[in-house]
Amino acid sequence: MATTSFTAPKLSSPTFQTLCRNFPLSLPIPKTLSSFSFHLSPFLSRFHLHHHHYHPPRFHPRRLFAVRAESENGAEPIRHYDFDLFTIGAGSGGVRASRFAANFGASVAVCELPFSTISSETTGGVGGTCVLRGCVPKKLMVYASKYSHEFDESNGFGWKYDTEPKHDWSTLMANKNAELQRLTGIYKNILNKAGVTLIEGRGKIVDPHTVDVDGKLYTARNILISVGGRPFIPDIPGREYAIDSDAALDLPSKPEKVAIVGGGYIALEFAGIFNGLTSEVHVFIRQKKVLRGFDEEIRDFVGEQMALRGIQFHTEESPQAIVKSADGSLSLKTNKGTIEGFSHIMFATGRRPNTKNLGLESVGVKINKNGAIEVDEYSRTTVPSIWAVGDVTDRINLTPVALMEGAALAKTLFQNEPTKPDYRAVPSAVFSQPPIGQVGLTEEQAIKEYGDIDVYTANFRPLKATLSGLPDRVFMKLIVCAKTNKVIGLHMCGEDSAEIAQGFAVAVKAGLTKADFDATVGIHPTSAEEFVTMRSPTRKIRQSSESQGNMGHEAETAAGV
Amino acid sequence: MARKMLVDEEMNQTNQEEAHYDFDLFVIGAGSGGVRAARFSANYGAKVGICELPFHPISSEVIGGVGGTCVIRGCVPKKILVYGAAFGSELEDARNYGWELNEKLDFNWKKLLHKKTDEIIRLNGIYKRLLSNAGVKLFEGEGKIVGPNEVEVTQLDGTKLSYSAKHILIATGSRAHRPPIPGQELGITSDEALSLEDLPKHAVVLGGGYIAVEFASIWRGLGANVDLFFRKELPLRGFDDEMRAVVARNLERRGINLHPQTNLTELIKTDNGIKVTTDHGEELIADVVLFATGRLPNSKRLNLEAVGVELDNTGAVKVDEYSRTRIPSVWAVGDVTNRMNLTPVALMEGTCFAKTVFGKEPSKPDYSHVPCAVFSIPPLSVVGLSEEQAIEQANGDVLVFTSTFNPMKNTVSGRQEKTVMKLVVDAETDKVLGASMCGPDAPEIMQGIAVALKCGATKAQFDSTVGIHPSAAEEFVTMRSVSRRITCRGKPKTNL
Repeated sequence: MATTSFTAPKLSSPTFQTLCRNFPLSLPIPKTLSSFSFHLSPFLSRFHLHHHHYHPPRFHPRRLFAVRAESENGAEPIRHYDFDLFTIGAGSGGVRASRFAANFGASVAVCELPFSTISSETTGGVGGTCVLRGCVPKKLMVYASKYSHEFDESNGFGWKYDTEPKHDWSTLMANKNAELQRLTGIYKNILNKAGVTLIEGRGKIVDPHTVDVDGKLYTARNILISVGGRPFIPDIPGREYAIDSDAALDLPSKPEKVAIVGGGYIALEFAGIFNGLTSEVHVFIRQKKVLRGFDEEIRDFVGEQMALRGIQFHTEESPQAIVKSADGSLSLKTNKGTIEGFSHIMFATGRRPNTKNLGLESVGVKINKNGAIEVDEYSRTTVPSIWAVGDVTDRINLTPVALMEGAALAKTLFQNEPTKPDYRAVPSAVFSQPPIGQVGLTEEQAIKEYGDIDVYTANFRPLKATLSGLPDRVFMKLIVCAKTNKVIGLHMCGEDSAEIAQGFAVAVKAGLTKADFDATVGIHPTSAEEFVTMRSPTRKIRQSSESQGNMGHEAETAAGV
Repeated sequence: MARKMLVDEEMNQTNQEEAHYDFDLFVIGAGSGGVRAARFSANYGAKVGICELPFHPISSEVIGGVGGTCVIRGCVPKKILVYGAAFGSELEDARNYGWELNEKLDFNWKKLLHKKTDEIIRLNGIYKRLLSNAGVKLFEGEGKIVGPNEVEVTQLDGTKLSYSAKHILIATGSRAHRPPIPGQELGITSDEALSLEDLPKHAVVLGGGYIAVEFASIWRGLGANVDLFFRKELPLRGFDDEMRAVVARNLERRGINLHPQTNLTELIKTDNGIKVTTDHGEELIADVVLFATGRLPNSKRLNLEAVGVELDNTGAVKVDEYSRTRIPSVWAVGDVTNRMNLTPVALMEGTCFAKTVFGKEPSKPDYSHVPCAVFSIPPLSVVGLSEEQAIEQANGDVLVFTSTFNPMKNTVSGRQEKTVMKLVVDAETDKVLGASMCGPDAPEIMQGIAVALKCGATKAQFDSTVGIHPSAAEEFVTMRSVSRRITCRGKPKTNL
């Protein structure tokens, strides 16, 4: 029901027709969102002045429907709300939706928990996971930790250190936290400038149009839940001694010997961070390989490269208990045995949506078995006035996806433009060392979906490594649909992968073909140019015969100098 | 026309006696373009010979080496030195990330130079192997054209070999040239600059092109004092003006002394070093003076005029769209034709040549949307049109999107250097006409963007691509607001 009402707006409602006369829809619509808001906001604020207590159902057919339904009930002819939109959670998705909604002329409030580097039921902070406990601090730690590799590299380029560079943990933490403080301030400013009311406190939904923030009630035409997710540690004996990624980003001192449980991207990123900052690192994974869900060759390659940098992998080993010994050190008991002497044991065993104590059950917002809020393609929950974006919906848990969902929602609600987030060809990166960049399908997915595919790979020693003498290599892979020649998957592991993948993501999203890649001239000398100089497929996979074998790409790769 | 000639020739082919020629193809010059053309032609089944001068890092009329400029005296050694030099600032940046380093870091130029030479010798070997694996016969010596189907190779010992070939390909590249000023013999070119015995303490660089800017960055990064002199107001003529200004600002901030609109008039040897005089009457003392004032095609000693191959006034071999000279059996690719002097373009020309002549598939190199990079520190990379070119060529309005931001790494390191990105868009068609970036990783980032531009991607397609967070590159897909709109008359209309 919720979705069908988007398709055909009925113009029978008198309020909507009045609105159309007051607000000429023939306004020239500039091409970009922000210039639109630039033109629109002054007009709308005047509009508000004249209609003090009247919040018209602006543009959006769905809301028109809601209002009409209410009118037909006769109980509530035209209801006044404190806000057009009340957002619970000021992370990436919430801030984006709130700002854009305000730019489109809506009155918006957002509530968020007080700032802390460690999240809990009572702490959070404007900026959310990405800024405070995710992407940003993680990347800063990656920058810091990458230096030890760069010191080694620089030796090969003639640089020398009289004394081995030493790392001071507290300097890094202080500078990192200063940056996080600055960013949370910037986010507050952004909200403020957009005219969004920021309320500090814990939001809880009371009814489909009311939010309770620490005892104070606010009404809103629409409520957006964007409370994100939090790390999850399984319930094993001694779990109280374990740390999660929140804590790992803000340790008071360097972990001397750390166990990381988990094989996902967070586990690998922290393994690289601690290894680079000269901790002894052990990674425990349940499966044979790291990064389930990624392309198999990438999984193998990144594991090998990380092992070469000194990280010890314990495969097919599941944690069963943590024991603290008298000297304060920790032991990890697994299905294969016990390893002792850890200063820290970190669990990177997944994240769970923050859906507890939000009042969701009482208003009828449906939650799936993982605790994620169920939403339709427009991010609407089972309650028509309540919406959800970002990690709390557990769709694709990435900041830029939450931004896309937030922006789409603002358009849907306040710009008369029902917009579905587009989840096709979403690129992503793993900031392991070396990093991974990818977009589109893995080889396994591609075979399943298309059957006949051509796979192009390159595995080479980058120019920098020939001088540094380090065993660093780069792996690249293109997956091409045999029938259409379209590039349907692109994967890379090696230096700069994340930066390199972005431009190619535009090409893959635009549906470009292998011939288009080939027609592009390389930038020499770069690693990225390999993606436009892959001439012969490494293998052709056909549904009839499994594979047509190696096409002699080894010689090809050597020529790519 | 060219295509027709080809077809005619192919038809005649069957009537000719194939054994009449020693080779189907003889290539003069084993650089990027020559090796590519030779290998690919051989892969098509042609019998191929190639000649190249003996190897040495510094080129001359009689010195060269398999691999050519790119491998021995250009892209590769240059990039190695840029890597080496970039560590200087990288290591400074490490301090605020908690790393305790000595106040003064020790850098050993001789070690870097030695390792660089080892690497180019290794690559020289790889290129030779590539040729032999492809079945191409390599001759060491100087090649000359004697007739439309006749080449002569003068070997090291002075003996001359003479071969007939159905096709001859000139791929002799180019060499750095020196300006005719008094004392020019005291200066060096990029060849020598890549092989200096000692790291200069005070270097003077003349030139505003990419080579000048790259060497200024290399030496400055390794701790030298650098003065950069160029004729125009900004370096890098031909690039987007806004980006030129960004590069100039970055060079200056990193401690390079810029001398715009200034030329050198004289070099004099003194006890303290080389005394450099400018046309503004300034005098400086330098231990190294680099002329990066352009390169000239290596076309002099090939005997081209005698067989009727035409040269333009810069000495470049004139060719048609298929890289064919005026003599139907003689072709030319790469820098010697002075079209677009980039390794990947020479590779493209070489590939197209092989396809055209031996692959029965007439192919013109496509010079649209050729991306390129300047490995200054930080680097610049561009693809498509500059803002100025777009305004000149556009029928309607041009939209310019820019993003200037502090890269995340700098937020902790404290480095004061902004990354600048720019998209130039046709307002009517929404097509992205040009992209440029100056900042860390720009050349790596630009390659994928180049694929998109090559295929006519629109701004809407950029916008619909989800970002990779946190990266610098994601800025290219998150540029929401227009910085300025320019009418076809070239006047800014709005400036939001």
